[in-house]
Amino acid sequence: MYGSASTHDIPTQATTGLENEDPILLAEFEARIARGEKIEPTDWMPQLYRKQLTRMIEQHAHSEIIGSLPEGTWITRAPGFRRKMAQMAKVQDEVGHAQLLYSAAETLGKTREQMLSDLINGKSKYSNVFNYPTPTWADSNVISWLIDAGAIVNQMANAKGSYGPYCRALDRICAEEAFHLKYGHDAVVHMATGTPIQRKMMQEALNRWWPAIMTFFGPSDKMSTHTEILMRWKVKMATNDACRQQFLDMYVPKILEIGLTLPDANLRKNEDGVWEFSEPDWEDFKRVINGDGPCNAERIAVRRAAEENGAWVRRAMQQPKAQYVRPLA
Amino acid sequence: MLFSLDPRISRLELPESAPAPPDKAALDQFPTYEVFHQRKENTAYVYVGPVHAPEADVAFLFGKEQFSRRFPCTGMWVVPTEAIRVTEYGDDQQSVYDRLPLLPADVLAATDAAVTEAYDIFHLKKRGKAHTHVGQVQATSPEAALQAAKAAFGDQRPVVNVWVIRSTDLLRSDEADRDMWTTTPDKKYREAIAYKVQDRIDRFKQEG
Ligand SMILES: [Fe+2]
Ligand SMILES: [Fe+2]
Ligand SMILES: [Fe+2]
Repeated sequence: MYGSASTHDIPTQATTGLENEDPILLAEFEARIARGEKIEPTDWMPQLYRKQLTRMIEQHAHSEIIGSLPEGTWITRAPGFRRKMAQMAKVQDEVGHAQLLYSAAETLGKTREQMLSDLINGKSKYSNVFNYPTPTWADSNVISWLIDAGAIVNQMANAKGSYGPYCRALDRICAEEAFHLKYGHDAVVHMATGTPIQRKMMQEALNRWWPAIMTFFGPSDKMSTHTEILMRWKVKMATNDACRQQFLDMYVPKILEIGLTLPDANLRKNEDGVWEFSEPDWEDFKRVINGDGPCNAERIAVRRAAEENGAWVRRAMQQPKAQYVRPLA
Repeated sequence: MLFSLDPRISRLELPESAPAPPDKAALDQFPTYEVFHQRKENTAYVYVGPVHAPEADVAFLFGKEQFSRRFPCTGMWVVPTEAIRVTEYGDDQQSVYDRLPLLPADVLAATDAAVTEAYDIFHLKKRGKAHTHVGQVQATSPEAALQAAKAAFGDQRPVVNVWVIRSTDLLRSDEADRDMWTTTPDKKYREAIAYKVQDRIDRFKQEG
């Protein structure tokens, strides 16, 4: 789901480092992208390109794996056999997305071992929305529908990016997401058009999740040199604001048509067709993403426990003569 | 102890916080294999992506789970990544065969005399797309196989990149096991089309 990778990419270097790159190779690289050709793993690429893509694809992978937890927790308690099967299939898809994305990131040179270590060490980030809990089945439905919807906006854009392995992974992921979106919508509609208690439960879940949803695409991009270069290189395909606007355009009408309301009195589309809304609390966002959210500790602890519990199996299957080779494509 | 809204997680009695575990050892996640699938009977095998696995049989199972779980599939091949001989990548519209250096005559002559093996050849037609199986050649080495591939398939264009794989290195699904691919259509709840929600929305609006 959650290709919200742009969200947490605050550039750590002040400079782009481009002055250290070979100008001829750089010109060829940029010309290839400008022609609409994809970059493949063995091609020359600038350090900044490699670094940003690695971080972005890795965070995307972590978000899939951590994102499967709040929905996974509802599999045993899903109402009815059909929903249980579907919820299980969706969660399995998300974990599969993580597998595809880790492989894509590996082609850039970071090993899967290092990425998984950085996740459980807390060095790497994942989509901040998963640091919030799913206290009811309706909360899980909000994720299935609206968080996936937001992720699809991102992923469809990124699938047109310049890096071949990421595009191949995203094509497959996007095809699977079609089911997630419909499944989530169906579940939300079922509750929102159901009994008064079901409706209340769904409205409350939406109220809980809306502030997080509004932060999903990240703060407004400051139009820095970084942003400009990353957009020229087709690493970043749309600004955070453009993604947020597209999401609101597509989904606010669908939310309202089933009798739900949104907990933001300032949310409206102005005469220019632009959505206005209350600015999300970015201080709170920062606090949570830096570790102080309601579920950060649980998410990492569960992930660590899974790693520890599986360690003996991996050890038992280890081939002593095996060599690490990066995936090819 | 960590308290979770999910009682199953609370029961794990995980610590609220703990020192970060040490970094994973190299190959904790196993070596890599590359996977090809056949989407329909009598169509070419196409590259679908890598998996990590301790050995080929397990790679096959992981590949089946990862790449044939949701969509039609009638066959699968896996190969250790290290067993693939990769050419350089050309530009879109070009053929990398044009840039292939010819093997010295004595090497080719030796080729004729020596015992040959089958090699499978895969072409990438466009950057960002997937390598597709174009056929087999007989040769004494991957380099010689590439020359043979140029003779056999070099008229196909464009060819951005070629993969050469010794045929015995590919683990292939067995014709006799074909029924392993037939379960997908049973699970309609995984298809977007199984969710027809508009009727319910319309009814809700009418009653509104
Ligand atoms: Fe996903
Ligand atoms: Fe999702
Ligand atoms: Fe999803």
